[in-house]
Amino acid sequence: MKIFYFEFLKLRKKSRGWIGPILVFVLIMTAFPLTVEFLNEDLDQAFFSVLWIALMLVMMLATEDIFLEDYNDGSLEQLALKNQSLALILGTKIFIYWMLIGVPISFIGSFYGFGITRSFDLGLNILPILLVTSYIFLNVFSFGNALSLTKGSVLGTLITMPLVLPLLVVLGKVVISINIGLNYFGFLALLLGILSIIIVVIPLIISFIIRAHLE
Amino acid sequence: MIKKFIHQFASPKTYLFQVTRAYPYIFVISILIYIISIFWGLFLTPEDFVQGNSYRIIYLHVPASFISQALYGGMAIASAIFLIWKVKLSAYLVKSIAPIGAMTTFIALISGSIWGIPTWGTWWAWDARIVSTLILFIMYLGLISLHDSFANYEKADKFLAVLVLVGSVNIPIIKMSVEWWSTLHQSASITISDKPTIDPSMLYPLFGSMIGFTGIVVCLVILSSKLHIFVREKNKSWIKDYV
Repeated sequence: MKIFYFEFLKLRKKSRGWIGPILVFVLIMTAFPLTVEFLNEDLDQAFFSVLWIALMLVMMLATEDIFLEDYNDGSLEQLALKNQSLALILGTKIFIYWMLIGVPISFIGSFYGFGITRSFDLGLNILPILLVTSYIFLNVFSFGNALSLTKGSVLGTLITMPLVLPLLVVLGKVVISINIGLNYFGFLALLLGILSIIIVVIPLIISFIIRAHLE
Repeated sequence: MIKKFIHQFASPKTYLFQVTRAYPYIFVISILIYIISIFWGLFLTPEDFVQGNSYRIIYLHVPASFISQALYGGMAIASAIFLIWKVKLSAYLVKSIAPIGAMTTFIALISGSIWGIPTWGTWWAWDARIVSTLILFIMYLGLISLHDSFANYEKADKFLAVLVLVGSVNIPIIKMSVEWWSTLHQSASITISDKPTIDPSMLYPLFGSMIGFTGIVVCLVILSSKLHIFVREKNKSWIKDYV
């Protein structure tokens, strides 16, 4: 609980770290209708593609220096020496990022869904998908940034982007299901299944990588 | 027991001497099998009823696609061995296989594109199988970049092995993409459980080309791994004696 509170305060104080990605997301979602002809059906068609890609890019941006500052100021080394599980601490850190960045973005995305498609149901239906997907993205990109900790975020992006691309295919299927009125809970269950594996495995892998960096 | 066996028979020194001895045989046999299969496939098999002569690119496309996924599988196994038993040779092999994997995936993509023009009327489609193969190609490039970005080889080996293992989740997706999604790409003609849906006159040279191509790729992996061992073990006394 102490770690949770400490990490929360740290990220909250670093406003650039969490407000920045949210604002970028808002800017993308606001700017994209300017590139589409102002007919509602065109906007509807383009909306989801832009939403998923914007979500992915913003999560990538949010995790850009998730471990770098802690690595540079020696906090990661201190955490690694603690009796507590490093994986648990790192998992908590990712969870805090999700709470401060992923959750607001999911609500904003859902709001845009309602605003652009003018369908309240659709806006509501994509909310759980956005919440789950943003958490998956945060975990995967944190893994990439842990690997390329001292080598810049471009490398981290290059090595983790291919891992999340199959997820975009699933998201595309979700949108088709919602649009034609099919039950999309199967896909939501699939995403939850992926998430439940990822939130256990990724912090363990990241802790292994961080320890290797500190050696 | 397993650890002792691996350490005894998978030292870079033993590997180098063994593969140097086996290399000429594998190379000659593979080249012969591949040339015979290609000749058989190009000149002795009949035209396809639907695709005409364009189908003959399968003697390059299918082996390249098969081996590009198999190499990743091999890398994943080698990575697991490296992380569990700390076998250096496994790490060397992972690093050596990555560029060969990228090359075979590139061949699969290009040959698929060439085949796509007469059969689908387009050289590229945003189809699940094609896109997942492109992802595999990008993954290979990412693996090469990751290893090259670290000056410390020990760290690079560890990170590479972790990334290979995590990335291996994509292999079943690529393999099953033609079953899970409705795609333009045809489903597999040869499976373990079912009878092949391809005529035997085309099947036998295809098997031959796959064996020959695999042998050639094994030779490339041997050359690449030998080079990597020379670089990594350059200060060891045995390597000076070997050279």
